[in-house]
Amino acid sequence: MKKKSGKIVSLLLTAVMVLTLGAGCGGQGGGSEDAKEIKMGTILPLSGSQAPLGKIGQQARDMAIEEINAAGGIESMGGAKIKMVYADSKGDPATGVSEAERLITQEEVALITGCYQSGVAMPSTEVAERYQIPYFVDVPSEDQITERGFKYIFRLAEKTSWRNRAQTEFITSMAQKYNTPVKTVGLIYENTAWGQGAVRAWEKYLPEAGLEIVMKEPYPANSSDLTPVVLKAKKLNPDIIMMVSYVSDAALLTKTFAEHQVKPLAFIGTSGGFADPTYYDLAGDASENFFDISTWEPDVNRPNSQEINKRFQEKYGYAMNAEAVKAYAGMYVIKDALEKAGSTEPDKLREAFVATDLQSGPAQMYASQTKFDETGQMINAPLVICQYQKVNGKMERVTVWPEKEARVGSQIVWPYPGAGN
Amino acid sequence: MGFLSVVANGLSMGAIYGLIALGLTLIFGIMRIINFAQGALLMLSMMVSYWLWAATGINPYILVIIVGPIMFAVGYICERCLIKPVLDEQKDVREPVAVLLLTAALAIVLENAALMVFGADYVMAKTSFSTSTIALGPVTVSAARFYGLIIALLAAGIFYLFLHRTQVGCNIRATGQDRNAAALMGIDVPKTYAIAFGIGTALLSVAAVVLIPFYYVHPSVGAVFMTKAFIVVVLGGLGSIPGAVLGGVIIGLIESIGAQYMAATLTAMLVYLVFLLVLFVKPTGIFGSPYDW
Amino acid sequence: MIEKNNKKTIILWAGLAVILLLIPMFVTKPYFLHVIIMCLLWAYLATSWNIIGGFAGQLSLGHGIYTAVGAYVTVMLFNTLGLSPWLGMFIAGAVAVLISLVIGFPTFGLRGAYYALATVAISEGVIVLINSIGDVGKFHVGGAEGLILKTVGNSWAAFQFSSKVPYYYIILILLVLGIIAAKKIKDSRLGYYLVALREDEDAAAAIGINVRNNKLIAGAISAFMTALGGVFYAMLIRYLEPNAVAGAVSMSTQMVFMTIVGGAGTVFGPVIGGILLSLVSEFIRFYLGGQLMGLHLFVYGLIVLIIIIKQPSGIIALFDKLKERLSREQH
Repeated sequence: MKKKSGKIVSLLLTAVMVLTLGAGCGGQGGGSEDAKEIKMGTILPLSGSQAPLGKIGQQARDMAIEEINAAGGIESMGGAKIKMVYADSKGDPATGVSEAERLITQEEVALITGCYQSGVAMPSTEVAERYQIPYFVDVPSEDQITERGFKYIFRLAEKTSWRNRAQTEFITSMAQKYNTPVKTVGLIYENTAWGQGAVRAWEKYLPEAGLEIVMKEPYPANSSDLTPVVLKAKKLNPDIIMMVSYVSDAALLTKTFAEHQVKPLAFIGTSGGFADPTYYDLAGDASENFFDISTWEPDVNRPNSQEINKRFQEKYGYAMNAEAVKAYAGMYVIKDALEKAGSTEPDKLREAFVATDLQSGPAQMYASQTKFDETGQMINAPLVICQYQKVNGKMERVTVWPEKEARVGSQIVWPYPGAGN
Repeated sequence: MGFLSVVANGLSMGAIYGLIALGLTLIFGIMRIINFAQGALLMLSMMVSYWLWAATGINPYILVIIVGPIMFAVGYICERCLIKPVLDEQKDVREPVAVLLLTAALAIVLENAALMVFGADYVMAKTSFSTSTIALGPVTVSAARFYGLIIALLAAGIFYLFLHRTQVGCNIRATGQDRNAAALMGIDVPKTYAIAFGIGTALLSVAAVVLIPFYYVHPSVGAVFMTKAFIVVVLGGLGSIPGAVLGGVIIGLIESIGAQYMAATLTAMLVYLVFLLVLFVKPTGIFGSPYDW
Repeated sequence: MIEKNNKKTIILWAGLAVILLLIPMFVTKPYFLHVIIMCLLWAYLATSWNIIGGFAGQLSLGHGIYTAVGAYVTVMLFNTLGLSPWLGMFIAGAVAVLISLVIGFPTFGLRGAYYALATVAISEGVIVLINSIGDVGKFHVGGAEGLILKTVGNSWAAFQFSSKVPYYYIILILLVLGIIAAKKIKDSRLGYYLVALREDEDAAAAIGINVRNNKLIAGAISAFMTALGGVFYAMLIRYLEPNAVAGAVSMSTQMVFMTIVGGAGTVFGPVIGGILLSLVSEFIRFYLGGQLMGLHLFVYGLIVLIIIIKQPSGIIALFDKLKERLSREQH
C-alpha cells in the first residue's frame, strides 16, 4: 500500500519537474535575438511593506529609460534601446538572491540595478560578483556593500556612515553659528541593520566632536506605540535628538514628541521615513522645524534639478525623493558607461564604470561629478540638511545646509522653538 | 509626574490591545479556532473606516455605526463560505489545524488585495483631536488614546452584557461550553458559529475607529497588533472577556513602564517572557477555565 | 502478484533515482537549478517539521528558531574558528536539540492552541534577541545587520561551490535521508506512540505511554533535522538576515503551510507540499511579480486557500483516493 502511494507521488514529482524544465527551456528562446535592445534587470521591493519605495524607484527608472530611448538610445551601439526587467525582492534576502540568479541566467541581463534595502543588496550583489555581471547599487547605503573587495559592484549612493558624519558636522557648525552650546545627544533608532549601522557611525563621530551620547534607544520597527520612548527622552532631556526611522515610526515619533512638548535644541532625522513624501501627511504640523539629512531635495541648488522633478511630477502626480533621484541619475550614469563601453560585455562595461567621470547631463541633479573609487564607491556623494518649514502657509522641506546648496533666501530655525510655535 | 503619564499611556494602549483581542478570544472560546486573519481583518476595518472618514468627514467614532455592520457581514460570510466547509470536513480531527492555516491564507489574500486596491501608501485620519492632549491634573495623555481607553472599556462592558443578557449571547456561550449539548437543546450551532465569527470581526471595527485618529493605516498594519493580540488572549485566558481587557492592560503597562528602564526592544522581550511565565504557572491564563480546549 | 508489484515499484524507484541524478545535466541554467534546489530544501524542511507537527500533532509555529540556530552556529564557527561546516553542522544540530529540550520541558504540557501560541511567543522573542546581539565573545553575530558567510571560493571542505550542481546533490541526499528518517519513525514504536498521543493524549497516557518523553524525543529529532536545513540555507544564500532565517512569515509558517497542504502526518505529504508550494510561489512571482503590487502573493494565498478548502487533509489524500479507485478497477 505505502509503496504504491510513494510510486504515484514520485511520478507526479517527476512530472512537475519535467514541466518546470520544459517551461524554463521554452521561456528563454524569445527575446535575446533582438540586437538593438540592451536588457537590464532591476531588483526592488514591489510587494510587502516597502512596496511604495520600490514603486517610486521603478517610476524614476522608467522615466529615464523613456528619455534615453526617445533620444536615440545608446549611440555607440547603433542606437540600441534599453529594456528594463523588474524583479520583486519582497524585501527578502533569499528572494533577492534567487531573483538575481534569474535575471542573470534566465533573462541574461547585461547589468543589474537596485535594490532599495541593504539587506537585499548584500547577498544579491554577491551573486552578481560570482557571475561577474556589473551590479549598479543606486540606493542601499550599508557601508559594507563596497567594502568586500568586489570588482563588479558600483554604488552611486553615499555610505550610511557618511550621513552620520555630515549630521555631526551640521550640529557643530550650528552650535557655533547660533552660540548654543551642545553637549548631549539622544539617539532613537529602529532596531534594524540600518539603525544599528547608524548608531555605530554616531558612536564614532559624535564623541570625536565632543558630544556625549546620553540616550541610546533602539525600538522595534513598526511599533504600535512610541510614547514610552518619547517620555523617556523627555526625562533625559538631551540637547539634540537624532532618529533613524521608516515613515510609520517617524510620523508616530514626531506626533508624540509634539503631544508631550519635548523641546531639545533640534530634532534631526536620518532620511528614510523623514524624507518620505507621506511623512508630512501623517505627522502634519508636528513636523515643523524638524531637520533631515538627504542627498537631494526638490529645491536644492543644482543644475537640471527643478526641470526633471517637474517632469516627474507631471508624469506621476507627485514629487521625486532622493531615492528616486538616485535611481534616475543612475540610469544616466549607466547610459554613459554603455556609450563608452560600446558593448554589453561585462568586462568592458566594468572598465567603463571604473573610468566613469561624468560631469554633465541630467545626472547633475544628483552630483556635479560622478566618479567611483577603486572599491566601486561613488566619491563625494553629496549630502544636504533640510528643515520642514512653513513657506506661505504650506509645509515644505527647505534645504538649509551647506550654504552653497541651500535654497536661495532660506533661513534656518535654530534652536527648536517647540511644537506649535 | 512623568511616571503617571507613563502609566496613563500604558493603560490606554493596553485597553486598545484588549479591544483588538476581544474578537479573537470570542472566536477561540466558541469555535476553538485561532484566527490568524484577525490582524488582516483589523486592517480591513481600518481601511473601511478611513475611507468613510475621508469621504464624509464625520467623527470616526460615530462611523462605527456603519463599519460595524459591514464587518459583521464580512465575518459572517467568511465563516459561512470558507471556514464552515473545512470545519465540517475536519470534524473528527481533534485539532482543526487546517482551519488555522485557512485563516492564515485568508490573511495573505486580504493583505495583498488591500495592497492591490488601495496601494501601499500610509494614511492617517487627521481629526481635530489627533495631536491634542488632555491634562488630568498633573498627567498629560494623548486625547485620541484617552478616548480609546474609554471606548474600549465601554465596548468590553457592552459586549459582556450582550453575552450574558441576550438570547443570542446565551446561545453563543452555550455553544462555547458544549456544542453537542447546545445542539441538543435546539441551538443552531453552525449559525451560532457564523454569528460569533461575525461579532468577533465586528468588534474589530470598534478598534479600527479608535486607532485611525492616531495610528496609520497600511495593508500590513494588522501584523503590528496581531502577535500582541495573541499574547493578550492567552494571558487573560482564551475565551475570557475580562481576561482580554486585563491581559491588554498588563501588556500595555509592561511596554510603557518597562521602556523607562530598558531599551524598547527589550520590553518586547519582557512581554514574551511574562507571557511564557504565566503560561507555565497557569497554562489556562489568568481568567481561563481549567478544562481542556 | 505481490512480487510483480514489488518489481514494478523497484523499476519506478530506480527510474526516479536516475532522473533525479541526471537533472543537473539537463538543467544547465543556474536559475532553474536554484529553483529546484529551493524546492528540495523546502520539501526537506517540511519533512522535518512534520515529525513534531504532523506525527505528534504539536503545532509548532516557531521552527524558524531551529533553522536560525543551524545557520548561525555553523557560520559563526566557520567565520571565527574556521571550523568546516561539515563538522559545524553537527554542533549546530546538537545546539538545536538542546534548545528544543529547553523549550520542550516547560511547553510539552501545553495543548493545542496554547502550545502553538507559546511557540509563536518564543520565536518572536528569539528574533528580537538575534536582532539585538552584536557579538557573543569573539563570535560575531551581526545583530540586525545580519551575518555574512566568509567566502573562500570553490571548496568542498568549506561547503562552498561556484556551481549550483554540488548544492543540488547535497540537498537531494539530505531530503532522501530525511524521508527515510520520517518513514523509519512512522513505522517505529515511537511513531505509533506519537500518533496515539496526537489522537488522544489522556488515553495515551492512560495506557502507559510516556507522553513527555515521546514528545521531547520527537521535538529533538525535528529540531536536529530542521537545523541541518538551516545550515544548508546558510551555505546556499551566504548571508543570514535574522528576519529571513528565523522569521515567522519567511520560515516558520512556510513549513507549516507546506506540510498541511501536502498532508500532515504522512511521509510524502510534506515533500509534495514543499515542492508544490515553492514551485507555485516561484512561478507566480516569475509571471506576476513586478506587475500590480501584491498580485502574486494574492494569487498565492488564493491557491493555498482553495487547496485547504477543497482538500483539508492535504493533497496526498487525493492520491489515496486515486489509488483506491485504481486497485478497485484492478480486481
